[in-house]
Amino acid sequence: MTETSKPNQLRLEVWNTVNERYPGSMISKEDFVPLSFLTKPLSESKLSFVSTSGVQPVGTMPFDTVHPIGDYTYREVPSNLKPHELEIHQLKYPTVGANQDINVIFPIERLQELAQEGVIGGLTDNFYSFIGYNMDPDKLEQKLAEDIADAVVKSGADIALLCPA
Amino acid sequence: MSLPYLKDAIKNGDNEKLIRYVRLHFGDGNEEAGSKEINKSWIEALKLLLDSPETDREFIFETLENKDPETLAHLYFHLHFHLLKRSGEWIHDGNL
Amino acid sequence: MQRALERKGIPTVSLTVALDVTEHIKPPRSMFLPFMMGHHFGVPYHKELQREIILEALDHLVEAKESGEVKFPPFTWAKARKEGIAIKRSLGLK
Repeated sequence: MTETSKPNQLRLEVWNTVNERYPGSMISKEDFVPLSFLTKPLSESKLSFVSTSGVQPVGTMPFDTVHPIGDYTYREVPSNLKPHELEIHQLKYPTVGANQDINVIFPIERLQELAQEGVIGGLTDNFYSFIGYNMDPDKLEQKLAEDIADAVVKSGADIALLCPA
Repeated sequence: MSLPYLKDAIKNGDNEKLIRYVRLHFGDGNEEAGSKEINKSWIEALKLLLDSPETDREFIFETLENKDPETLAHLYFHLHFHLLKRSGEWIHDGNL
Repeated sequence: MQRALERKGIPTVSLTVALDVTEHIKPPRSMFLPFMMGHHFGVPYHKELQREIILEALDHLVEAKESGEVKFPPFTWAKARKEGIAIKRSLGLK
């Protein structure tokens, strides 16, 4: 697609706004990492989902939404759960849609259906969720991101869908 | 402000920067809103004590004495948001 | 996060509603949606749209050849909202 055909983002200047308010919290990259490629068809590939939505199973320790530096833990969300078994703990994005239908930010039912129909080969036993408010970019990149990536690899995932809320 | 900025501000005794940060945190990125939020949580606390109800001062003393300062600091942040939620005037997007 | 996974050999695709942020963080494969923050998969109860978004993203995961490729599927927020309202009406919700 050409530059001119790019649709506009709904909320403008997100990068500049966050940087003005929380300088140094965003991670900027100059390079691109080499891609990994699928080794088998999609219909045989096990999918994991990673989300910064703050979605978590009901009854697990709520994400620390009040901590000034952020929360560097993640929750495993069993991929067979139903929406009423999930709740959201976060303060930084609008949950007006998710409060009615959690699939708008954490499409667990749609992914279950795609696995059921054989469009994808299956789902990892758990999905992974954390919150996006993190003021220590090094800890985010070197600890939390690596921890989750290791967990995803261990879960036997062949592919991963990521959604930074 | 990210952690390196905050540490730098503390090292340089730059309280203006630190206050700005606290307000940004409480105001979801809006300093003025954050300032108002701080007032709101104190007003809520004040309202609860107007009629001098009986409170568990033993619990308070025990907590202050026995808990580590980090937990108390964390509790302070929790209390802020807890009181705001109680006040019924919730400006934040999501849920605690 | 996404980079860590690619480095560990898992192909990934991410969704974004903030293209300016995407341009800075340079994810390996991403798909842009001109949607409201926190509504990456569309609108409540619009199962077909939610499904289409996932399928478009998976298609990008299979098709992208170069690291950093951003896909621009033809969804619009106005259309998503309009359809969402109609679906809610048909379900008897407000």
